[in-house]
Amino acid sequence: MPNAITAFVRYVNVMNRHVGTIAMYLIFVMMGILLYSSISKTFFTPSIWTLEMAQFVMVAYYLLGGGYSMQLDAHVRMDLFYGSWSPKTRMLMDCFTVLLLIFYLFMLLYGGISSTEYALKYGEQSYSAWAPQMAPIKIIMCIGIFLMLLQAIAAFFHDLGRLRGVDILTGEDIG
Amino acid sequence: MSYEMIALLMFSTMMVMLLTGQRVFGAIGFVAAGAALLLWGTGGSEMAFSASMKLMKWYPLLTLPLFIFMGYMLSESGIAEDLYKMFHVWMGPLPGGLAVGTIGLMVIISAMNGLSVAGMAIGATIALPELLRRGYDKIMVTGVIQAGSSLGILVPPSVVLVLYGMIARQPVGKLWLGGVFPGLILAAMFIAYIVIRCKMQPNLGPALPKEERDMPMSEKLKLLRAGILPLIIFFLMTGLFLMGVTSLVESSAVGAASAMGAAAIKGLLNKQLIESTVRKTLGISCMFMWIILAALCFGAVFDGLGAVRAIRTLFLDDLGLGPWEILIMMQLSYILMGMFLDDTAMLVIVAPLFIPLVGSLGFDLIWYGVLYTITCQIAYMTPPFGYNLFLMRAMAPPTISLIDIYRSVVPFVAIMVLGLALVTIFPELATWLPEKVYAR
Amino acid sequence: AGKPIKWRLQTYAGAALAEHVIKPSIDAFNKAANGEMEIELYFADQLVPTGELFRAMQRGTIDAVQSDDDSIAAPVDVSVFGGYFPFASRYSLDVPALFNHWGLKEIWEEAYNEVEGVTWLSAGAWDPCHFATKDPINSLADLKGKRVFTFPTAGRFLSRFGVVPVTLPWEDIEVAMQTGELDGIAWSGITEDYTVGWADVTNYFLTNNISGAWAGSYFANSERWDELPEHLKTLFKLCMDSSHYYRQHWYWAGEAKLRTQGTKMKLTSIPDEEWATVEAEAHKFWDEIAAKSDRNARVVKILKDYNASMDKAGRPYRYS
Ligand code: NA
Ligand code: NA
Repeated sequence: MPNAITAFVRYVNVMNRHVGTIAMYLIFVMMGILLYSSISKTFFTPSIWTLEMAQFVMVAYYLLGGGYSMQLDAHVRMDLFYGSWSPKTRMLMDCFTVLLLIFYLFMLLYGGISSTEYALKYGEQSYSAWAPQMAPIKIIMCIGIFLMLLQAIAAFFHDLGRLRGVDILTGEDIG
Repeated sequence: MSYEMIALLMFSTMMVMLLTGQRVFGAIGFVAAGAALLLWGTGGSEMAFSASMKLMKWYPLLTLPLFIFMGYMLSESGIAEDLYKMFHVWMGPLPGGLAVGTIGLMVIISAMNGLSVAGMAIGATIALPELLRRGYDKIMVTGVIQAGSSLGILVPPSVVLVLYGMIARQPVGKLWLGGVFPGLILAAMFIAYIVIRCKMQPNLGPALPKEERDMPMSEKLKLLRAGILPLIIFFLMTGLFLMGVTSLVESSAVGAASAMGAAAIKGLLNKQLIESTVRKTLGISCMFMWIILAALCFGAVFDGLGAVRAIRTLFLDDLGLGPWEILIMMQLSYILMGMFLDDTAMLVIVAPLFIPLVGSLGFDLIWYGVLYTITCQIAYMTPPFGYNLFLMRAMAPPTISLIDIYRSVVPFVAIMVLGLALVTIFPELATWLPEKVYAR
Repeated sequence: AGKPIKWRLQTYAGAALAEHVIKPSIDAFNKAANGEMEIELYFADQLVPTGELFRAMQRGTIDAVQSDDDSIAAPVDVSVFGGYFPFASRYSLDVPALFNHWGLKEIWEEAYNEVEGVTWLSAGAWDPCHFATKDPINSLADLKGKRVFTFPTAGRFLSRFGVVPVTLPWEDIEVAMQTGELDGIAWSGITEDYTVGWADVTNYFLTNNISGAWAGSYFANSERWDELPEHLKTLFKLCMDSSHYYRQHWYWAGEAKLRTQGTKMKLTSIPDEEWATVEAEAHKFWDEIAAKSDRNARVVKILKDYNASMDKAGRPYRYS
């Protein structure tokens, strides 16, 4: 494998691991917002922003965490046949089908960028009384999707490398 | 292209894509985004992202990561060990008693959490090794844990019923109460099966030897204290919600925090535990969320291309069926799809199609929600695709093979189908409690 | 004949409501179009979430939209006047009168001409805006701290009285009342409360309203609209008018009938003197909105002139 590709795959892995490790703690932010919401509602006046803010955090959580979750191999597959194939067949099939996954992520990103452009151009605000600007969360979403896209591309190269007998990540010769 | 053609094409492509073994969300997302691009025209190119905004606004989804976190936290909190010791001693003398106790444990875990993940984690780490050590039949115990943990989505709280409620526009409180008796009935049926089976074949589940269960009554009673903490958690989470003090999403945060509190009380909460729990939570949450994201897109594209209309006409007009026949057809198609498909994807894609039909045929949607949930439980356990199967495979010791796991679910799936039939024939099993409580 | 022209139209109303407020007119359109054109009707958030609806129409994902300007956060300054602009109208006939005879139509055309890709077509009136709540409201103090589903601009206004406005997808409202995310709804009159099932999840209906009629519009993707042959454009205009007309009598009859004969909601009122403070506050709110742009100032001036003229005209326009 060319050095550039090896570097790319390793770099993407490290980056997503770092981003994901930060994103995974957003669960406490969600928890905090909602606990604050129930306390303020019970004892004081309810806040106008809690539910929407929690939703923003939820979206950031799973999109920014996406790439890392792929590294953790958290995404289920239907393995009726897949499970019984040899590792080589699996890699071969993955090399092809991951391209389709990449297509999906690309379309996701395409729509995200378009929607973000709109938000920036018109200063889009959420249609709520709190009316936060939508551009920041949309930008975060695009970053998350982009990182997922990079991770999928890295997975493609990783499989391709293994098919040709090298594990890019470990540098091991598995031919 | 006709609507029927589009429906057929999209579904069959999705099936093929799933069979390639690509990640489920990728398989579904690809078909959705591809169909939008090809068949919708340029406007379709943004449907994939549009689904992410839909997901954002779907507020009950906030409960998903929080319940998952809670499940993992509970399994590490030490609560389960105490409970298990209690059941162990109290049920031990019975043939198959430990398996019966495991079902009891699962019911209590189910009452504290809205998914089956928690039950699976606890079952596989605490109950399974113990049962195997005691000479229980591995196929039997593997089945017990999978079936027992699936009660997590039927006994309140339940994330599946929340999502169903959002699509069917039914009150979550009623749905949850609707799941209480069917959940307990299923548990009772599991227990009956275990006891009968072990009576006939005592080697499947040997009773505890006398010396082990010889314990003064006062000691035995003391063990019951294990139930206190779960009761408190249940009250804080489900109780406060049903009383209207906390809202739904708030209650899931309360639940998550109380599970953490329980671990802290037991002195088990530390940095390492938090980190590993948070990491596992991210993995499972991302898996669900990305599937929902792709499925929302699939559903909207399917709908926008007119395929939903085709299916509705098919069921209502073309097949010429009566209401009950349609209902049974739907249940059968759910069970069939549940073998191959993720239940969340199924809910997002298929339920918006089926539920209005069920409603328009005059059936009660609370009752149907319970039927739907039992179907999901079955889907969790039927090969080739089922979450409990996956989790079991990931967590089971190497002595338990894939074939063992597949074989283990057979009797329990049969019992669940029986339970499904029972609730279908006697809707009051599901509807009596919610109607009683909400009749005021 | 060739292939029929196909449009996807998404209304911001949910299915139960759309059954009345738009579906009959679309069915009639499809029949009259005689195979030349077919409009497929989709409901709230069905294909695209409401927040993304304007963008979706601009990009051609959706061909046409029925909504108020406010709910889809239309990127024009006058969008605040869509939906329920507080105390802008007293009767539902005020809306078409203002648009067709007092110059709002021209202002709307001007505003939307500045936005690429979307053509504003026509505005019409819906129902008045009342509170439907779990607990009774007998004074302004009772509004404090209530989490209420309402329109964005109305919500901003109501927050001055301690209301906590919440925005959720329309179809989720009924369940959100039951899951405790909401204490009430300030989104419609009593006809809708009964029609869409909200009367089943609330107990009280406040007879005071913050607006006499909701104003909502039809929009289309400009390219799609421009390429329609003249006769189909005409037919679509007739279709919009028929929908506007139906809502005029459906709500008017429904509001009175359900207040007097409905059994699911108890009526309560805030005394007139107390409610007058809300109206006074609304006029301050108007001035704040007017200060935001010249076009907004023109709209507010028209609203003021119109209301003054109604006062002057006396009965049946005004009784006091
Ligand atoms: Na549960
Ligand atoms: Na299955």
